[in-house]
Amino acid sequence: MSTTSPSTASTAATRPGPLLSVRELQVHFPTQDGLVKAVDGLTFDLEAGKTLGIVGESGSGKSVSSMAIMGLHRGTNAQVSGEIELAGVNLLDISADEMRRKRGRDVSMIFQDPLSAMHPYYTVGNQIAEAYRVHHSVSRKIAKQRAVEMLDRVGIPTPEKRVNDYPHQFSGGMRQRAMIAMGLINDPGLLIADEPTTALDVTVQAQILDLLQDLQREFNSAVIIITHDLGVVAEMADDVLVMYAGRAVEHGPCKEILTHPEMPYTWGLLSSVPDLSGDTGARLVPIPGNPPSLLNPPSGCAFHPRCPHRDKVPGDLCRTELPLLVPGERGGHHTKRCHLPNPDAIYATEVLPEIAPDLAVERAKEL
Amino acid sequence: MAFTKKPLAALAATALAATLAACGGGSGDDDNGGGSSSGKAEKGGDAIFFVGPRTVEHWDPQRMYIGRDLNNSGRLFYRSLVALPASNDPVEGTTPVPDLATDTGTTEDAGKTWTFTVRDDVKWEDGQPITCEDFKYGASRNFATDVIIGGPANYLFTYLDIPTGDDDLPAYKGPYSKKGQELYDQAVTCEGQTITYRFKKAWPDFPLSIAQLRYLDPYRADLDKGDANNFEIISNGPYKLDGDWKEGTGGKFVRNENWDESTDPIRKAYPDTWDFREGDTDEAIYEQLLADSGDAQYAVTERRLPPALFSRKDEAGDRYTQVESPYVDYVLPNFNSPVFKDANCREALKLATDRAGWIKAGGGDQYFKATDSVINPSVPGYQPNPAFADIPAAGDPDAAAAALEKCSAPKPVKIKFTYSGGTPTSDNQASALKAAWDKAGFETELDPLEDTYYAVIQKPDADFDVTWGGWGADWASAGTVIPPLFDSRINLTGDSNGNDYGNYKGGPEVDQLIDDAYAEPDLDAAADKWAAVDAKLGEDVAYIPLEITIFNFVHGGKVTGYANNVSVNGYADLAVLGVEK
Amino acid sequence: MLAYVIRRVFAGVIMLIVMSIVTFALFFASPIDQESFICGKNCSAAQKKETAAAMGYDDSFINQWSDFAKGVVAGRDFPDDPKLRETAPQTIVRCEAPCLGYSRERGDTVTNLIKDTFPVSFSLAVAAFVLWMAGGILFGVLAALKKGMLIDRGVVGLSLIGFAFPTFFVGLLLYKFVAIQWGLTEIPRYTSIAEGGIGGWLSGLTLPAITLCLFFMAAYVRMTRSYVIESFQEDYVRTARAKGLPERTVTFKHALRAALTPIVTMAGLDFAGLMGGAIITESVFNYPGMGKLAVLASTDFDLPTTVGLVILLAGFVIAANIVVDLLYAVIDPRVRLG
Repeated sequence: MSTTSPSTASTAATRPGPLLSVRELQVHFPTQDGLVKAVDGLTFDLEAGKTLGIVGESGSGKSVSSMAIMGLHRGTNAQVSGEIELAGVNLLDISADEMRRKRGRDVSMIFQDPLSAMHPYYTVGNQIAEAYRVHHSVSRKIAKQRAVEMLDRVGIPTPEKRVNDYPHQFSGGMRQRAMIAMGLINDPGLLIADEPTTALDVTVQAQILDLLQDLQREFNSAVIIITHDLGVVAEMADDVLVMYAGRAVEHGPCKEILTHPEMPYTWGLLSSVPDLSGDTGARLVPIPGNPPSLLNPPSGCAFHPRCPHRDKVPGDLCRTELPLLVPGERGGHHTKRCHLPNPDAIYATEVLPEIAPDLAVERAKEL
Repeated sequence: MAFTKKPLAALAATALAATLAACGGGSGDDDNGGGSSSGKAEKGGDAIFFVGPRTVEHWDPQRMYIGRDLNNSGRLFYRSLVALPASNDPVEGTTPVPDLATDTGTTEDAGKTWTFTVRDDVKWEDGQPITCEDFKYGASRNFATDVIIGGPANYLFTYLDIPTGDDDLPAYKGPYSKKGQELYDQAVTCEGQTITYRFKKAWPDFPLSIAQLRYLDPYRADLDKGDANNFEIISNGPYKLDGDWKEGTGGKFVRNENWDESTDPIRKAYPDTWDFREGDTDEAIYEQLLADSGDAQYAVTERRLPPALFSRKDEAGDRYTQVESPYVDYVLPNFNSPVFKDANCREALKLATDRAGWIKAGGGDQYFKATDSVINPSVPGYQPNPAFADIPAAGDPDAAAAALEKCSAPKPVKIKFTYSGGTPTSDNQASALKAAWDKAGFETELDPLEDTYYAVIQKPDADFDVTWGGWGADWASAGTVIPPLFDSRINLTGDSNGNDYGNYKGGPEVDQLIDDAYAEPDLDAAADKWAAVDAKLGEDVAYIPLEITIFNFVHGGKVTGYANNVSVNGYADLAVLGVEK
Repeated sequence: MLAYVIRRVFAGVIMLIVMSIVTFALFFASPIDQESFICGKNCSAAQKKETAAAMGYDDSFINQWSDFAKGVVAGRDFPDDPKLRETAPQTIVRCEAPCLGYSRERGDTVTNLIKDTFPVSFSLAVAAFVLWMAGGILFGVLAALKKGMLIDRGVVGLSLIGFAFPTFFVGLLLYKFVAIQWGLTEIPRYTSIAEGGIGGWLSGLTLPAITLCLFFMAAYVRMTRSYVIESFQEDYVRTARAKGLPERTVTFKHALRAALTPIVTMAGLDFAGLMGGAIITESVFNYPGMGKLAVLASTDFDLPTTVGLVILLAGFVIAANIVVDLLYAVIDPRVRLG
């Protein structure tokens, strides 16, 4: 029996659009000191089977928005508005129980620290099977069997034995594999991976990312990968969304963003990635200053206090006026939120030579 | 230390560690004293005795030494040769009458040999007749100092005609080891039902000691398990224990079918049962008694109304009674102190002592009554001590200051007052004394001691100048007051002052007076001789009397025939008490 | 695991032996001669000496202690006098191993005294334990779930009040009003199940158990509240929600399970401590338990009873420690014993 509301039913019927469509998402937290606008007007789409990388510093709102998609702000004092449409259903319209039933089945999530994210008192198998049983009325035995299959699938050796181990008996990488097994056991359309490799050894990181990619292909899931690491994005993402102070500041196809970034904040992020291309002459340039207060964000462009290029913008525009998210110089799906008139040229002549001299030379030839 | 008493406040605050032997007498001259409640007692009903937090230590007659337990057991389940009648008359209530014996004892050599004849119609609770041998065996148990510990055995050690060994103890060691048994068999003999006690020296008030203590009670040799019998009760009175005595909880007494009322002139045995309840706090007992609710309506107690609840005594109406205790509190100078070696200094201290201030600080005249002798007025032989009788209760500061002029010690005369402290009340009382002494020209240092009080002041080299003491007679005789406190011959040994804390040495004159008083066969004449010793002690200022403690009691509303009789030291007399059904 | 238990028990026994030595030593250091307490008024120096000899107090402290230790292992006779065994065997009390001594003041073996008082303390401790655990966890969880709301503030406030009032005050208040003035309950009196059945046992326990539990309950409410609040912040609770588990399962299976583990283990220790630690409650309500016995014994300078109780109670605490540690290992798979 269908319980979906008429509006979602109609959109689902009329538009075969993207799997996930986020429109003007706002997540605000009222506090004693005032309203914290953790996410303030975020819009993006994600097709089935594709990967979106959301990049930004801590506090930029990337985790908060993913929690909003999971519906995990329900029951807290967060004010969530806008539209999150998953397979044609607006997740902000449905009841708490309907949202609960989607969680883990239609959209699931894996977390940064798999040790703390797993309950220390229950076996890994128990926790994976629990995720299956909550959405499928099957016996414990079958659920456990399913857990073993999933553990096998994510590359845990002798899964029928390890299924009875406790999380602390797993290594860090194995725990994250188990988390991935837990996240995919119900074959969700959307998987959100929140910094999935940050807490892992460098050698393990790549294995986990490979696994995620393999599984994405196999399950045909859409994946949102949240990271501060552009290296991860470069490897995984189809699209990239750069967030700053609760807003998208640059959004576009991965290759576009990495090769022709048009927002100085993205440049900063690129500068702070070590060894992006194996270039030995590259310099690590950290972004000066600190992330802004979300309680009292800077006027105009939120990045302007840290922006080394704001004097290239005429007048006091950066300080007074919030730039719109508009298509950049190269057009298409590449949008940016910046007043700079000729960002691509500035990047090529001023930024690139600093961070990747080899690339700069190549680019100069292109120009 | 289990010798004497502490000040009222200390009694209330500590676990009453010092109420051994409250033998002596209550008083008949107080308004409420000996108050008996309306309603005539009749047979039947269930009565309760709240024993309180200080639990019974012994039910073994030869080991009992606490006034409460001596009284209660003698009224309910233990009989002896003689007993005191249920009377509040100071003379009648302290004059023994025959109980298990046919008379009150006969002596033909002025108290050196005593003879009693045991009735032949009296039985133990199991139906066995009470025999002369039972009495002989009972008395013999006192000598087993390794088993029968805690009782007043040393009276027999002093008097009974048994030689003393090197250790100052009798050569007879009691019925368990039977060492020296032949010596005892000569001193105490049975001929049929007639028992004869032979003493080294005259003991004129021997029958009174039998009536007020239980050390000469009969005992069953065939049931004696020594120390394991501590809480066994082999009854020959109107009640017997139903089941076991449980220490900390108590026990229930029911009628003893083998007790024949016609053989017993004293015990009325009105209630059908007596429930002895141990362990309640004073507050719990008195909350129930004041509310007169539930079981407590049928209850009496030996616990005193706690000071905190004193303001509510009017709630109890005529269920509240007040009697003078057999205790006297006093202070005493240390004759070894450089200051009080000098009689003039002692004289000044005596004149400066503010009894009224001490009483006021201790709670006032509901708690204490000023007195003028260490002998309690209820004890025969009491006479106002001329050395103290004429001093105002608040002392005479001017006369004291004048007397101090003659004191040889350098002025101001620095003295140290060691007392049993640790409570605000006792400290206030000590301060009241200090104030008056200082006013006369002393400079007093207060030295409060807590638990180890007696252990400290008994030390021969203790460095106090003045200290405090309290005492109650074992039975109604000044012979149980003056020698235990002031006879240097029995008190002062190398490592202890005994109870003669002030190192008082009366010398040949006082020693002779004491010996004469002891030897006097006529009890009235003996009383006069004791009064003479007391007067001499006053002259020497061996002590300075302060006051008599007053007992405050409340009993349940359904108790009948309630009486605080002098024959039971002013406590409730269970012999004549009844309850409504 | 077994090796661990054996090692812990062994260490516990050593600790008990040391404690018994210390207790003996403390009594020897006391300025009070215990024999005076027993000997009575007018006790002469010679009598006192005899008494001390009869009690064994004239012996050296090491000899007294080794007699005690011998009794624990092999049992003892009181008095242990071969001559008396011939002339008056009926006066000798046999105290079977493990013999904790014989109290002259109480005329009974310490083992028997403990047999009499243990059920009382145990009953009281169990009843109070059930009440405070149920109340403490229930209100603690309630306060945590309604954090910051009126009900939370009420519960926390009340528990603060419960914590602040001294036990004897609460006990006397309950005694005075509930039992005496209003007559809502009988005057509390310990009744064993054998005497009064479960009903009589419980009705005698009501007020003392409430008095005793209040203090603990207040502490456990606050402890539970903070543990549960902390637990809800844990990442694994977020994971549980992300799986789509119903909130009930999230709360009870995931959040509370972790929060209650330290509470349960701490409760084990508190329970053991209560066996002899309910002194005030036992005194106020006249419950003849081990706490009260301990007070009586120490005011009378009853050395055998005091030593016996000290060792028994220390044994309880040591045993509880071992049990709690084992329990912890069972509850929390991360804990390894070794």
